[in-house]
Amino acid sequence: MKTIFDTLTEGIGVITWACTLTALVPGLALVLVARRARLTVALYYIAGAAFLAWAQAAGHWWVAARGTAVLIAGFVAAGTYAAAWRAPGHSSPLATGAGLVGGALAGWLWRPCVGEFLGDILNDASTAGPRTLGLMFIYMVGVLLPLLLIAIAPHAVPAVGRVLDRLPFAIAGATVGAAYAVALAIGQYDDLIGELYRISAGY
Amino acid sequence: MKSSVSRSVAAGVLLVGVALIVWTAVDEPDDGLGVTEAANAPTTTPQAEPIEASPTTAAVEATTLETATTTTAAPVPTTTTEAPAPIPALGTALTLSKLDGWLNTDATSLEEIRADNEITVVQFWTFGCRNCKKTLDALAQLHADFRDRGVEVVGVHSPEFGYEANVDNIIEAAAELGVVWPIALDTTKYNFHVWQEGPTGYWPRVYVIDSDNQIRFDRRGDGTHTYRELYATVERLLAEDST
Repeated sequence: MKTIFDTLTEGIGVITWACTLTALVPGLALVLVARRARLTVALYYIAGAAFLAWAQAAGHWWVAARGTAVLIAGFVAAGTYAAAWRAPGHSSPLATGAGLVGGALAGWLWRPCVGEFLGDILNDASTAGPRTLGLMFIYMVGVLLPLLLIAIAPHAVPAVGRVLDRLPFAIAGATVGAAYAVALAIGQYDDLIGELYRISAGY
Repeated sequence: MKSSVSRSVAAGVLLVGVALIVWTAVDEPDDGLGVTEAANAPTTTPQAEPIEASPTTAAVEATTLETATTTTAAPVPTTTTEAPAPIPALGTALTLSKLDGWLNTDATSLEEIRADNEITVVQFWTFGCRNCKKTLDALAQLHADFRDRGVEVVGVHSPEFGYEANVDNIIEAAAELGVVWPIALDTTKYNFHVWQEGPTGYWPRVYVIDSDNQIRFDRRGDGTHTYRELYATVERLLAEDST
């Protein structure tokens, strides 16, 4: 139980780090875009990101994020935002697909700075599959907690939902999503995030 | 009624989530906390866990063997005896190539450094990575304690982001962080990807290479126990070499 809690808090502790923003920012944008299915998109995004990150460490996924694969990823990313925008409700396959594929993309592109508990997960991934997959999900819940909270907030406080439902929020999400897709397709995504981090950290 | 319950549950999750974020932000330890302790621990109390018996080692062994140029059969850990089992070889270490240069050394290749030392500790890091910074105290301790006994640390600097690729920034950061051991400039991340199996690589990742160019330790992450095991492994390999 302590391991689970420590893994979760280690994930939460790195929310603002540059290496985390590469997974968090696209997810936040996707949740903002999915006005009628935020919670579904958020949950599947976390699941997709956790699975791909784990699969890479466990040796079950061998496609590197380079060259043509990244170009294709840019188009797929654009598709996830379009699907999330059009998703009519929580039970829609569009919402599920957008979350799952968007999350898988994020997990694939994620280059984590590895702390103690994530290190243990990655080191053991190939020999302790189910346990490490579960812990990776817990870690991702921590890392991506902000998008989960944004998705839950309208259910807890309807007034927040009415604000988030306004078109400018969805357009802002779509704009970030479009920038993400383009930056991915031209192979500049990591540098873009790095530059933002450098500016914010005052390097 | 159902709507009221789901709203309460959502509010509870929201509150717990926000509380966790606030608590974690307030409770975040300083960089380096615990690592000095890890580095110091084996010098006084050599209670590091025997790494040859850990499942982590088996996991690393399984993956590393796939990327090694040649492989060495590793002994399977058996029941605990008074004498610890030998530390298994995880495969032959690769070389460092396509580098942009070296800092803090006159050497121009990993082979030169290996030729002058019994054991080489190779860590992939980048100066902007906070987890990497947390390990530097432990590496400094290792470097100070074993430098005269034929152990060298090599930091392979593989930048994650553009500003970490600037050599002036690396020199400045290395001075600030007290990195006095050789730094190999892997600006294109060629070695970062070649050394680390699979489609992605991780910061930090540390290897120990023995005098036969065999990898005897391979771990990801900044864990206190990881760097305690690293220290103990180097100590044991030195003892192994002297017998």
